[in-house]
Amino acid sequence: MNITNEDAVQSLAQVEEVMAKTRQSLVSAYAGSFLVLWGFIWVVSYLGTHFFPMRANLIWSITDALGIIGTVFIIRRQYGQGPARRNPSDKQFLLRTILFWPLVFAYACVWLNIVKPGSGIEVNAFLVTLVMFAYVVMGLWFGSWLMVVLGIVVTGFTFVGFRLVPVENYCLWMAVTAGGSLLGTGLYMKLRWR
Amino acid sequence: MAQLDNTIHQPVRLQIMSSLVALNAGEEIEFVYLRKILNLTDGNLGAHLAKLEEAGYVKVKKTFVARKPRTFITATGKGRDAFEEHILALRQIIGGSQK
Repeated sequence: MNITNEDAVQSLAQVEEVMAKTRQSLVSAYAGSFLVLWGFIWVVSYLGTHFFPMRANLIWSITDALGIIGTVFIIRRQYGQGPARRNPSDKQFLLRTILFWPLVFAYACVWLNIVKPGSGIEVNAFLVTLVMFAYVVMGLWFGSWLMVVLGIVVTGFTFVGFRLVPVENYCLWMAVTAGGSLLGTGLYMKLRWR
Repeated sequence: MAQLDNTIHQPVRLQIMSSLVALNAGEEIEFVYLRKILNLTDGNLGAHLAKLEEAGYVKVKKTFVARKPRTFITATGKGRDAFEEHILALRQIIGGSQK
């Protein structure tokens, strides 16, 4: 079979494109909806806390409960559609994924009890960076560099907000940077990677 | 000198193999997702998968998930090797022409 140099270049470019699209679509199929949901919840919760600081506990209780209901709904819908990919030689995969997040939050409770942060902002910065650490771990686990970068960037925003942004503007900062990053990434995945 | 593979070189089959090789070894992708990623029709994807299966490059498994019929596709070891050799041959063509 004889093909020209241009044909070979075109074929290789197509291979690269399809491989990237496949990896992106599969990550988006699982993570996109969760990022949109929790990004939206963070934006609403932080803005609510900024404008009504006395109602912070109530706001976060309601939005977190809605987030958990939404998460269960997304998991049920994804389960109903069946998996986009599977690995028959790795039967523990689903169990590991399901156990991962409750374990992260169990450890968060233990560490909060040990460290006993002095303010709501300290608790918040601790929890956000812990969740972002979990994103980085999940990203490395699933081979999604976008998740790794997202986790590191939001951790950076949180650290800057915690150290440099005036306390009265912390929630506004977090709504735009942390919530905005999650929401923006989720929307980008859903709109561009489908 | 690596050889181009006639079965894989066909544009749609090259796309299918690229998509399957992008998964980890042993991982399977569901037919509907693959069709969506490659923007193909059921018939077109099915026909090219049959050719690749005939060559021993892919394995097609029909199964039930939550009582719904699902078809999962994976690249075989032979398919991955053939794809790698095809890619190497394409790179050699480009490399050769640049010398």
